[in-house]
Amino acid sequence: MLLMYKDLLIRFILGGAAVMVSYLITVISPWKILAGIFAAFPAVMITAVLMVGIASGSKNAAKIANGSVFGMIGGVVCVATVWTVLQVSGNWMLSIVLGLLFWLGSSIIISTFKDKLKNSRRNTFRVNLLIRHK
Amino acid sequence: MGELSISALLIRFILGGGAVVVSTLVARKLGEKAGGIFAAFPAVYLAALLTVGLDFSGNELVAHSIILSKGAIVGMGINIMVAILAGYLLPRQGWKRGLLQAMGFWLVVSMAVVMITTYS
Repeated sequence: MLLMYKDLLIRFILGGAAVMVSYLITVISPWKILAGIFAAFPAVMITAVLMVGIASGSKNAAKIANGSVFGMIGGVVCVATVWTVLQVSGNWMLSIVLGLLFWLGSSIIISTFKDKLKNSRRNTFRVNLLIRHK
Repeated sequence: MGELSISALLIRFILGGGAVVVSTLVARKLGEKAGGIFAAFPAVYLAALLTVGLDFSGNELVAHSIILSKGAIVGMGINIMVAILAGYLLPRQGWKRGLLQAMGFWLVVSMAVVMITTYS
C-alpha cells in the first residue's frame, strides 16, 4: 500500500515537473523545440521501471521498459495527429479530440498486435519443447 | 506569454502531475487489457498542450501548439530509443545504473537535437 502511494507521488512529481519545465523553457529559453521534448518526458515509463526495479529487480524492470515501446508508438500517433490537424485546419479543439481518438485506435491495434506476438512466441516455445521431448 | 509567475508554474505542476496520476488510476481500474492501453496515455503532452490554451487564443494558440507538438514528436522518438536502451541496459548494469544511463542518453540526445535544429 505504501509502495502504491510512493508510486503515485513520484508520478505526480515527475509529470508535474515535466509540464512546468516545458512552460519555463517556452518563456525563458530561445530553444522552443526543447519545450516539446519536455512535454513528451517519459514520466510514466521512468516511474514504472523505478518501482518494478525496487519491488522485483532488474530483469522485470527491463521487461517494463521493453513493453513501454508499444505504448509510446500510440503517443507518437497522438502527437502526429494533433500536429497534422493543426496544420491543416487550424482548429485547436478538433486537433485534441482527433489526437485522442487516433491515440485510442492505434493503441488498441498495437495492443492486439502485441498479444498476437506474445501468443505466437508462446506457441513456438511449446513446439520447440515438444520436438526436444520426442 | 513573456511574464513568468509562480502561480502559472504551480498551475502547470498541479495539472501535469494530476493528469499523470489520474491516467494511472484509470489504467489500474480498467483491468489488464484496457489498463495496459491507458498506462501509456500521453498525459504530460496533453496537459502541456491544454495549458498552452491558458496563455493564448486564436492563431497564436495554434502556432504555439504546433511548435510544442513538433518538439513532442521528436521527444517521443527519443523516448522510444531510451526505452529500447533501458531494456538492454537494465539486466546488464542493474536497474539503478541502467535507468540513470538511459536518462543520461535522453538528456544528451535531446540537447544534440536542440543544437542541430537551432544552429544548423
